[in-house]
Amino acid sequence: MMLEDELTVSVRERDGIAIIDLIGDVTTFAEEKINTAYRDVTNRGARFVLLNFRQNDYINSAGIAILIGIVTEVNRNNQKLAVSGLSQHFQKIFRMVGLAQYAEIYQDEEEAVQSFKTQAAAA
Amino acid sequence: MISTSEHTTSMELSFPSELGFEVIARDAVAAFARRMGLAADRVEDLKTALSEACINAIEHGNSLSPGTRVAVVCHCDAERLLVEVHDQGLQSYTPKGDPLSISDKLAGLGPLRGMGLMLIAQLTDESGYRSDGEAGNCFWLAYFRQPVVGCR
Repeated sequence: MMLEDELTVSVRERDGIAIIDLIGDVTTFAEEKINTAYRDVTNRGARFVLLNFRQNDYINSAGIAILIGIVTEVNRNNQKLAVSGLSQHFQKIFRMVGLAQYAEIYQDEEEAVQSFKTQAAAA
Repeated sequence: MISTSEHTTSMELSFPSELGFEVIARDAVAAFARRMGLAADRVEDLKTALSEACINAIEHGNSLSPGTRVAVVCHCDAERLLVEVHDQGLQSYTPKGDPLSISDKLAGLGPLRGMGLMLIAQLTDESGYRSDGEAGNCFWLAYFRQPVVGCR
């Protein structure tokens, strides 16, 4: 019996920012969904990408490895990456593994969008 | 199974060695830890550390082999909560030195995965490994019930 993932991934745009909503668990089962969503927004020319986490009770090291893979692609494609919506615990985990060096962490989507808009205006 | 002696309360779980079942063990052990009075933020740490230990048992100790099982044993006494994760030892544990940093991983110097042991070390008060011989490997995680100088 395989216990399937419980992650819903969707993509939307707000003020020129590509937002990837990740609702649920981020584990090894999430790889295809997350990478597909990232390729989708990149193919549409996204410069600013926000991973917007919601209801994420479980992000494990395999999930973190998927996100490190996204950072690799973001650097290659000269995009900016941020994350929002993480619990205090997972914000700590992201800092622990070093992801916070490569993706700004914001409390919520609104805060992230405002920061991206400021960066876009200054560019 | 839960048992209580004069000084120790224990709980034992056994589950199929398949990815995803670690979530069930995690939730059960988290409930046990809350019942034993572990602080909420330490319960969150325990959930992540235990998940990583179970994944190691499933992927490495049991080599993702169908039919194998993982056992989780919790002991709580006045001093600490001890959680042991047992696999069947199809592979023995071999320390690989310090994990690669994220910058090394981004530079392509190694696999993107492999942060589980680092998370376990950082999210526990104490942790370690012992071989149980032919019975398999055991990773253990410990949380002190009272703040101890030198521990988080």
